[in-house]
Amino acid sequence: MKKVIAIGLDGFEPKIVEAMIARGELPNLQRLQEQGGYSRLGTTHSAQTPVAWSTFSTGTNPGGHGIFDFLTRDPNTYLPVMALSRYEQKNSFVLPKVVNMRRGTTFWDLLSEKEVQSTILRVPCAYPPDQVKGRMLSGVGVPDLRGGFGTPTFYSSRTDIHADQAEKVVSVSLNKDMSATHVIGPRDPKTKSDHKFDINIQIVRSENKIVVTSQGQPDRLEVHLGKWSKWLKVKFKVGMMQTVSGIVRFNLRQLEPDFELYASPVNFETEEPLFAISHPKEYAHELAMKIGRYYTAGMAEDHDGLNLNRFDEGAYLDQCRFVMRERRRMMEYELGRFESGYFFCLFDTPDRLAHMFWRFREPEHPSNKLHGYNPEFANVIEEHYLECDAVVGEAMKFADNETLFIVLSDHGMNSFQRGLNLNTWLYENGFLALKPGSKPGDGGDFFENVDWDKTKAYAMGLGCVFLNIKGREANGILSDDEAEATRAGVVSGLTGLVDTDRSAVAVRSVVRREQVYSGPFLSEAPDLLVNFSEGYRVSWDTPLGGVPQGLFRDNHKRWSGDHVIDPALSTGVLFMNQKFRTVSPRLADLAPTILNSFGVPKGADMEGSDLLS
Amino acid sequence: MNVLVLNFSGAEPVTLFADERLENLRRLMDMGCFGELNSSGEWNVLARQENHTLTLMEYFQQADKLCVDTSDPVTLREKLSVGDWDYLQYSAASFPAENWSADDYLRLDNDLGEALQELDDDTAITVLGKNCFVLVSAINPISGEHKGGSTSDIAPTLAQLAGYPLPSATEGKSWVDGMELNNTSGLTADEQEILRDRLSGLGYV
Repeated sequence: MKKVIAIGLDGFEPKIVEAMIARGELPNLQRLQEQGGYSRLGTTHSAQTPVAWSTFSTGTNPGGHGIFDFLTRDPNTYLPVMALSRYEQKNSFVLPKVVNMRRGTTFWDLLSEKEVQSTILRVPCAYPPDQVKGRMLSGVGVPDLRGGFGTPTFYSSRTDIHADQAEKVVSVSLNKDMSATHVIGPRDPKTKSDHKFDINIQIVRSENKIVVTSQGQPDRLEVHLGKWSKWLKVKFKVGMMQTVSGIVRFNLRQLEPDFELYASPVNFETEEPLFAISHPKEYAHELAMKIGRYYTAGMAEDHDGLNLNRFDEGAYLDQCRFVMRERRRMMEYELGRFESGYFFCLFDTPDRLAHMFWRFREPEHPSNKLHGYNPEFANVIEEHYLECDAVVGEAMKFADNETLFIVLSDHGMNSFQRGLNLNTWLYENGFLALKPGSKPGDGGDFFENVDWDKTKAYAMGLGCVFLNIKGREANGILSDDEAEATRAGVVSGLTGLVDTDRSAVAVRSVVRREQVYSGPFLSEAPDLLVNFSEGYRVSWDTPLGGVPQGLFRDNHKRWSGDHVIDPALSTGVLFMNQKFRTVSPRLADLAPTILNSFGVPKGADMEGSDLLS
Repeated sequence: MNVLVLNFSGAEPVTLFADERLENLRRLMDMGCFGELNSSGEWNVLARQENHTLTLMEYFQQADKLCVDTSDPVTLREKLSVGDWDYLQYSAASFPAENWSADDYLRLDNDLGEALQELDDDTAITVLGKNCFVLVSAINPISGEHKGGSTSDIAPTLAQLAGYPLPSATEGKSWVDGMELNNTSGLTADEQEILRDRLSGLGYV
């Protein structure tokens, strides 16, 4: 019986992999390379997880699947919106439905038509889950209980801690080392307040721990200093008649001088998730019964907690290990009963870990000036790659002579030292206008002071530039001819842009969407894409439409590595256990390759070709 | 404002209001008001005038509204999907008159769920059981359990929610008489905060 086993390693960087293989440190990947082959793998415009994996799934460029970035903009409001899925509600009496914005035909759709079974674990942009023949557990795209990518909560006995935009802060008052507080749940659309689940905290100083008691499961949960707790199942009463349950885990950062506790985003609970996260619907819970509770949110790693310094690097590493371990258990359980067809499991951790630990590879990284450099962490990424290699070795045990075995990554990873304020550049060059009397730095996110009646172009997301086109944008001003002149102006002005502080070229090129995309969803794409050099990216203020002061800024966040640069510099890796065409393979080639190994012809829209023929 | 009345006269409040599996009904209970009713008069009688009993449906007909009265589930489905009605009352004849089984309640909730799919926001929905009700309308200011109401209050309350003055000699009393009705456009929550919430955790913002 024919098997294809594909292991996805998100953000697995070829330069690190190649060096480690040369040193003989990745024996399983090396064995694969010797058996079949290895190549760098061309990624998508832009080099981002949802875009790239959607191209893997459908075999088309993003113009054929409609995912161009994590974010897109609503042309009616100019506001950024989540690009991966949408909530649609027929009327206010019925529940909203989630609609996947990744369109096109996946190769597992075609396999299902031919009765070939698939087991697909955590592939991005399959939420709600695809109705595949077999099993699917959704990945990136599944929200937390508040409907976002993940909102954690920080509890502190200090009253002067303010919440960053990506978190909630709860101030706890301790009385005889006890406190009554709550876990924050979904927002109530009517009252605009948060639903809460009551918990009681008792500090046990002699044992450096706290005990959390509640109506949840378990009713008594211990959290030890510097450690992660087990899962707590909580229930929110979201109406008089309705409850929603979720799971949360804690990290106790310190007891003295101030009490500090971190709570993860509240993940969907598998028994009764708010929306289906697997196909069949019950599958997510069957899996939990076998391997234990697991993170269900698409973004499982709590990088925000570390970015905001709500716990330290050690705690983040521990948390990443939990995620890795539970994913391994999932993979091993499913491979153990896998008989034929297509198997896929994505490991997101290499990406999330490298984003946060990249700075320790570069003592001169600006982030270290603020957060300190610790040489102990210099090899964390390599150490993690050893574990990835072990995962590959484990999976290879399930491959027989007829199995096509694939290991791939969607993009690589690079340094992120400097950020460009794209909107500020557009402002300084006359493409973006601010309201009379305001200047860059005056307003916040969401294009606060932008004068749309005079604006020709605006930037959001991770390097997307949109034109303000008449008839398309709410206050569009550009006619077709003017749009063309604006396009040409932005391309020639931004290409080769030099960061004068460092005398380095920050922008390698700017491409028009027609140059890199084609297909039915081309009209949804950003008009222009900015391709950055290594070490650069859009600034932190750009994705949500900020116009801050100055062009370039040092990246001072712990999120110190990134990959949203020129895709030519951000390739992934591809290993197969059979000889394959190693001349510029790209993600779109995988769908035809996998289909062909089952004797199924590739779909009409699939652009790549079988790498084995 | 359209008016939809679904009458399941055999459904007991003890089960109707307590069974957690009735998801659609519970959502409606959360959105509007519900309760038991003192049995006095008939729910569809709006007023008893000299020599004449004015029903709610007649009152709407006098105002040239498109009215439908049916007990046939096929007709109900058709009317709901086409939407050519202002007032629609349905008496569920396919359900037993009393002694409902657990399955009957689930079937009610399922039928209700199907009906809800077809509605406009601008609809007042009433589900009636045995001496009990659930009432939802975006402009209805009453929420939660509503105690002390009577069967005969349903018609005048619906007439007012639909935007009509009360005729003389109404038999019951409208619960919303003299109250300020909700402004339906006031429900949109602070967009920016929700947006931040949605996008936080991405690592990119």
